Amino acid sequence: MLVKRSTGKPARGSLARSLASGLAAGLGATVDRRGFLKTSGLAAGGMAALSALPATMIRKAEAGPMVPNVEVVTRKNVCTHCSVGCTVIAEVQNGVWTGQEPGWESPISQGAHCAKGASVRELTKGERRLKYPLKLVDGQWQRISWDQAVEEIGNQLLEIRQQSGPDAVFWLGSAKFTNEASYLFRKLAAFWGTNNVDHQARICHSTTVAGVANTWGYGAMTNSYNDIQNAKALLFIGGNPAEAHPVSMPHALRGKERNRAPYIVIDPRFTRTAAHATEYVRIRPGTDIPMTWGILWHIFENGWEDKEYIRQRVYGMDEVRAEVKKWDPATVERVTGVPGEQVKRVAELISKNRPSTVIWCMGITQKTTGTANVRALSILQLALGNIGVAGGGANIYRGHCNVQGATDMGLDVSTLPSYYGLAEGAWKHFSRVWDVDYDWMKARFASKDLMEAKGIPTTRWFDAVIYKPEDIEQPSPLKAMFVMGHGGNTVTRMPEMLKGLEKLSLLVVADPHPTTFASFQQRRNGTYLLPACTSFETDGSRTCSNRSLQWGEKVVEPIFESKDDYTIMYLMARKFGFADEMFKHITVENTRPVPEDILREINRSCLSTGYTGQSPERLKMHMKHQADFDKITMRASDGPCKGDYYGLPWPSWGHPELRHPGCGVLYDTSKHVMDGGGVFRARFGVERNGVSLLADDSYSQGSEIQDGYPEFTMAMLKKLGWDKDLTPEELNVIQAIGGDKPDEVSWQTDLSMGIIRVALKHGCVPHGNAKARAVAWNLPDPVPVHREPIYSPRPDLVKEYPAIPDRRDFRLPQLARSLQSKIAESDLRQRFPFILTSGRLVEYEGGGEETRSNPWLAELQQSMFAEINPKDAERLGIRNGAMIWVYGPENDAKAKVMAQVTERIGVGTVFMPFHFSGYWQGESLRGNYPPGTDPIVLGEAANSVTTYGYDPVTFMQETKVTLCRVEPA
Amino acid sequence: QLYQNPVNPPTTKEQVPLYQPQEKLVGTVSIPDEKLSVLVQPEGREWREFRSYWLRVVAGTLALGMLALLTLFYLFRGTIPISKGRSGRWVPRFGGFDRFAHWTTAVSFLILAITGLIITFGRPLLIPLIGHEAFTSTAYASTFLHNFFAIPFTLGLILIFVAWVRDNLPEKADLVWLRTLGGVLNKAGEHPEAGRFNAGQKLIFWAVVFGGFALAVSGVLLMLPFSVTGIGGMQILHVLHGLIASLMIAVIIAHIYIGTIGMEGAFDAMGRGVVDENWAKEHHSRWYEEQVLAMRANDGRPMHHRAAE
Amino acid sequence: MARMKFLCDAERCIECNACVTACKNEHEIPWGMNRRRLITLNDGVPGERSISMACMHCNDPPCAGVCPVDCFYQTADGVVLHNKDLCIGCGYCFYACPFGAPQYPQTTNFGSRGKMDKCTFCAGGPEVDNTPEEYQKYGSNRLAEGKLPLCAEMCSTRALMGGDGDVLADIYQERSLRRGYGSGAYGWTTAYGNADKGRAFGPGASGSKGS
Ligand SMILES: Nc1nc2c(c(=O)[nH]1)N[C@H]1C(S)=C(S)[C@@H](COP(=O)(O)OP(=O)(O)OC[C@H]3O[C@@H](n4cnc5c(=O)[nH]c(N)nc54)[C@H](O)[C@@H]3O)O[C@H]1N2
Ligand SMILES: Nc1nc2c(c(=O)[nH]1)N[C@H]1C(S)=C(S)[C@@H](COP(=O)(O)OP(=O)(O)OC[C@H]3O[C@@H](n4cnc5c(=O)[nH]c(N)nc54)[C@H](O)[C@@H]3O)O[C@H]1N2
Ligand code: HEM
Ligand code: HEM
Ligand code: SF4
Ligand code: SF4
Ligand code: SF4
Ligand code: SF4
Ligand code: SF4
Ligand SMILES: [Mo]
Repeated sequence: MLVKRSTGKPARGSLARSLASGLAAGLGATVDRRGFLKTSGLAAGGMAALSALPATMIRKAEAGPMVPNVEVVTRKNVCTHCSVGCTVIAEVQNGVWTGQEPGWESPISQGAHCAKGASVRELTKGERRLKYPLKLVDGQWQRISWDQAVEEIGNQLLEIRQQSGPDAVFWLGSAKFTNEASYLFRKLAAFWGTNNVDHQARICHSTTVAGVANTWGYGAMTNSYNDIQNAKALLFIGGNPAEAHPVSMPHALRGKERNRAPYIVIDPRFTRTAAHATEYVRIRPGTDIPMTWGILWHIFENGWEDKEYIRQRVYGMDEVRAEVKKWDPATVERVTGVPGEQVKRVAELISKNRPSTVIWCMGITQKTTGTANVRALSILQLALGNIGVAGGGANIYRGHCNVQGATDMGLDVSTLPSYYGLAEGAWKHFSRVWDVDYDWMKARFASKDLMEAKGIPTTRWFDAVIYKPEDIEQPSPLKAMFVMGHGGNTVTRMPEMLKGLEKLSLLVVADPHPTTFASFQQRRNGTYLLPACTSFETDGSRTCSNRSLQWGEKVVEPIFESKDDYTIMYLMARKFGFADEMFKHITVENTRPVPEDILREINRSCLSTGYTGQSPERLKMHMKHQADFDKITMRASDGPCKGDYYGLPWPSWGHPELRHPGCGVLYDTSKHVMDGGGVFRARFGVERNGVSLLADDSYSQGSEIQDGYPEFTMAMLKKLGWDKDLTPEELNVIQAIGGDKPDEVSWQTDLSMGIIRVALKHGCVPHGNAKARAVAWNLPDPVPVHREPIYSPRPDLVKEYPAIPDRRDFRLPQLARSLQSKIAESDLRQRFPFILTSGRLVEYEGGGEETRSNPWLAELQQSMFAEINPKDAERLGIRNGAMIWVYGPENDAKAKVMAQVTERIGVGTVFMPFHFSGYWQGESLRGNYPPGTDPIVLGEAANSVTTYGYDPVTFMQETKVTLCRVEPA
Repeated sequence: QLYQNPVNPPTTKEQVPLYQPQEKLVGTVSIPDEKLSVLVQPEGREWREFRSYWLRVVAGTLALGMLALLTLFYLFRGTIPISKGRSGRWVPRFGGFDRFAHWTTAVSFLILAITGLIITFGRPLLIPLIGHEAFTSTAYASTFLHNFFAIPFTLGLILIFVAWVRDNLPEKADLVWLRTLGGVLNKAGEHPEAGRFNAGQKLIFWAVVFGGFALAVSGVLLMLPFSVTGIGGMQILHVLHGLIASLMIAVIIAHIYIGTIGMEGAFDAMGRGVVDENWAKEHHSRWYEEQVLAMRANDGRPMHHRAAE
Repeated sequence: MARMKFLCDAERCIECNACVTACKNEHEIPWGMNRRRLITLNDGVPGERSISMACMHCNDPPCAGVCPVDCFYQTADGVVLHNKDLCIGCGYCFYACPFGAPQYPQTTNFGSRGKMDKCTFCAGGPEVDNTPEEYQKYGSNRLAEGKLPLCAEMCSTRALMGGDGDVLADIYQERSLRRGYGSGAYGWTTAYGNADKGRAFGPGASGSKGS
């Protein structure tokens, strides 16, 4: 008897197909084994007493995931654990997720997963999830109803708003949100009247976004994971994709195999990514600019740069040359610790094997010089002419499953969706989209100034609670925090975070798990936990690292009493009294806003990033026809999506009906703009100090303007005589928007998208055709310069390479040079002789509350540890596996962890994974979690010992370089 | 520019230890289970050779060989009689304590041996007879009994050791006994002088003590797998246990033979605790004299062995 | 006739543990039992390589040879399975297995260590295919559904492959040719003998002695 668990033919890729064909031959013969068993006279029975199955292998039949003869429904969603965006195929029976199959057809993952993705089914079993709303009463968790929760939270928030103003509430959203929820959360904060709304991108890739957007226009990965297969050389710097983006690795390893591409890893740790390298460079943490300039030194020295490319497409390279001159091999070696020979070899490898791709991640971004780091690498790629080229690119691996999308949706203190910023024009644009009066919107805010001022970022929210009110540039310090989908152990300086936590009058956590916030006893009242569901229990789109949007189908209904993010936001908005305004053009079913409608609103409004072509219908079609897409180019060769890039990687210009295919590779001039081609964005004017900022003799294929051009406006259309191509309807809209100044209506604000359409029609890119900026004059360091970390392990270099001067931004003071020099002049370095860096383990994600609650993952990493080099361990008398104390230099911070003695980490350096929490200074906090929700594995949080230090552009936290001391426990 | 020379791993292929021919490979695992860090242990194959072939050969040969030898001996020599015939007078030899110790050990040993042999030989011998299912029950019961009787066996062993060690210390007379093989081949029934235990018995005693403890120790470690050693150690323990068990089984078969049909009057010593005076005189002349002396000093009352008091 | 085999290409494996959790997920393997596991050699130093290891479904399986109750059987496609109703938990198969595949619910227990459990190549066990009984004892039976082992199907880098041995050997050979060197299919010859020795870039080629 064959009971088929899957209905229909199993979907499989070519490997599987070829394997399966072999299998078919074998299957018939398995009958023989039954024959064999018959002769052995088998039957259970008398055996029962003696050979009872051990309890661990006995499951109640109904608990097993497989129920024969029950209809199986297959649903497609996307893994929620990182930005690779692997397809998850769920088999559902009777509304229960009973089986997970490989998503062979996905052009990105091709059936693959990493440990986390292969275990996501557990999320909807959710043994340790929050099951119903809870309220903390005198230190005890009390079950309450949703109605009561929304009522009480709403009343308290409204009261705080009344007394301290809208800016007293901090809205912390999530990169785990779908695009629709991200957009909605940003909108919610806007309607509430504050810019104090942020999410993980702040602590993740904010510096990337700032750095690359300031270089060539958009803050995103330029190419794709798949495209790495075209690279002739791979340079990984400050990233460990083997653990953090495992399913990007098949592309990288295939690239290495197919092209015999050199594979270079620059990292202070010999990571699992480095284990496959052809060249591994161990670098002192925090010296990536010297390293990059060191490489560029050789490139300039030998004339390996792409001179024609630079002439046509890069502005200000000469200023960079001047800076690079300072980084001769000896200086580089002195600062980075990397032998001059090796730097030269790396330079030669990536120059002589072009296109070469540069891949970076948190080792670059989470730095006091994060933005400058990003800029330096971008400039390196520009010098080599690698941007806008298949096989080249800046392949910036994003973090969470939708950190790209949530950033694009403006879930951020400094901008409205789609990077429109906070200026009056941006608010007017969105007021039009939202169909609310601009003045009404303005009245929601404490003042027009605050409406246009960047808010308080995630990294500093607690400073905005505990600092003296006069240090905070808003009417009141923060009083309440509403957290949706953000861990409590992932921001640095936890001892101070605890002080802030204690002082908040209201804390709301809407999350599938209680998170670390719930495990601290500092708060005894005024905490609410709302069970949010995961993205497997709702639908919506998410944007993975390569800018592709993928629509996830709801796999099962929200489990227990949990609700999806849309519903929670709706309930709050309704309680605040602006639901009708906020959901004017979004259908709400019962209390659930329909995500398709939200996406349509995004399509209508997010013109500047080209989030307009990705209608829900098109996205769903892509998911359905994944098999039609090529596994390297990601382009559909057949079927209804023919010609499209998978997931319509933004920009997908214009109305969905235009059928723009999306851009597989950004800024690629070798293609027509309607074919996914592009140019660098004209964002910073047309000239500077008399030098043109527009491209020279470079344009995307088929462009009618065969040179650089500024961004399109009505005025420009008129000048070109192309305004005649606008339809009357489009003209009407432009007229209505522009009022008495219709000429000023730009491609970004023209809600008819007529200007965009006409530009495309003439083969032009709506955002103009400019040069990329090697010099970004609006940044603190227009040309990146090396600056030692605040807690520099080389006090001797601090004078030479000081931090930036102290300053203010984001409504708060930022200490830098004063703190750095104080530290350098003290004896701190003697007392804290180790460099402390932190990062990821493949099994856990982020703060780890989700993944440490999943037994299939938790079993694989059962204790928090710190890696330490055998030489250091021997000197300190530390055995592998022994407990040690890691002391941080601020606030008497300390953490008790297991020593992992390994040469993976260099001498004098200590590495800690940051996924743990639930211990504090050696004490377990397990009892503080609401019963039944404590993660299986607990451990000390790395961020309990991390320290002060922020990037000047984005207030990114410094997680990768600080100092510490290690003692046997 | 397109194609590179083969780019090798950081080190060359030859320097990647994994690719070097090597027998056993042990790495690291993240799960806290040390024994799972063994990647390949080719000695599993040798162990399997031992377990499914050599153990059976050795145990079978030793046991069957010993049986054959004894049969031959029996045919040649028959039961060794008390040459002067039974006197009818009884000399006390083993008190209640001695016998308790002996039989505890003996019964446990027999059960251990039988159950052990079932595990060893069941697959080729029993499965064809009773089928898989019944054999699994048998085998499961056997392991259960084997584990259970390890306890009385070990206790008995300790008692035996305490009770009899003093009389089993080697002495000069043992050499004579050994040279003449205890006179077993002497049809006239001449036996060399011996104390409470003759050299043969002493050999049995020490074989039992050493073998027994070795089995007990290796057995307990087999019961607590990986408690003190890794996979290699477990294999060695198993080999030792099996080989020693095989040897002991052979030795004990001989012992049982002597204690029963091999020698007239011998069984009484363990059965009833007393021996015929003539048997005592013939086999343990010196001991007999000591007993007589002690009896006199004790007003003629029958005298138990010291240890029995 | 297809002969099912596993091949783990150490040049590809990145120790991401997908294969391990896929197995846990598919069969709901309880905590402490590891049908599949990752072993890293030279952890943290150049030359580091990882191998994903489970039952290799050997030719002439040593486990089956030593089992005192003879509860193993090999299916026509070479999958080595066992009957938990017969197993007495003696642990001998673990001693014999070159790859440490058999697992026990109790590591130390006087007497039985519980029913041995090991990788089934996702082929269930002797019970009727795809019944709850089979699932409870052996996990799911993907082969009977026309699917291959989930661990291999979900492997992030296609390091781990499971299926017709000849196909695997071909894929591996092609890969090694492209790379220019051919080592890393550890365990292949130990499990399946030297049949592929002739191929310069085959999985049984150079450097795999004793493996
Ligand atoms: N398993 C898992 N995967 C994840 C996540 C997770 O939590 N778990 N999170 C996702 C998210 S949110 C993100 S942002 C990504 C992050 O992915 P990655 O950035 O790749 O991960 P990290 O381990 O934080 O850091 C990468 C490397 O930077 C190195 N590094 C530290 N300091 C320096 C330095 O000064 N210079 C250089 N060159 N390198 C340095 C570290 O040694 C480390 O190997 O991963 C995503 N994927
Ligand atoms: N020391 C150190 N610190 C670091 C880093 C580092 O490298 N070193 N890396 C930093 C980086 S890059 C990042 S991105 C952060 C990550 O840090 P966090 O984002 O804080 O970490 P997570 O634990 O992943 O938090 C996500 C939360 O979202 C919840 N969640 C999941 N799905 C949903 C959903 O659909 N809806 C809602 N409402 N909630 C959901 C999860 O339960 C979880 O609690 O950590 C940062 N912190
Ligand atoms: C059914 C089986 C057995 C019988 C009939 C038997 C009989 C005897 C007899 C009659 C003696 C006394 C010899 C004397 O008077 O000195 C004896 C002694 C002894 N027996 Fe046994 N025995 C048996 C099994 C065992 C077993 C299984 C062991 C140990 C594992 C054992 C260990 C000893 C020892 C150590 C002595 C003392 C030394 C010796 O006399 O050889 N016996 N046995
Ligand atoms: C304290 C004493 C002993 C202990 C704790 C002990 C324990 C064990 C254990 C745990 C096994 C493995 C069998 C299984 O797990 O199914 C075993 C096997 C065996 N034991 Fe013992 N044992 C002891 C004494 C003996 C003695 C006295 C003999 C016999 C003379 C013996 C003969 C055997 C044999 C023949 C095997 C089977 C080996 C095989 O077939 O692989 N054991 N024993
Ligand atoms: S965590 Fe990332 S790499 Fe792993 S399965 Fe999920 S999306 Fe894929
Ligand atoms: S790998 Fe081990 S358990 Fe699997 S067949 Fe081979 S010997 Fe048996
Ligand atoms: S544990 Fe079970 S399967 Fe393994 S050898 Fe013993 S009886 Fe056979
Ligand atoms: S083949 Fe199936 S049972 Fe075996 S390790 Fe893979 S998933 Fe687990
Ligand atoms: S899934 Fe593949 S790459 Fe990942 S650990 Fe397993 S075998 Fe290695
Ligand atoms: Mo991140």
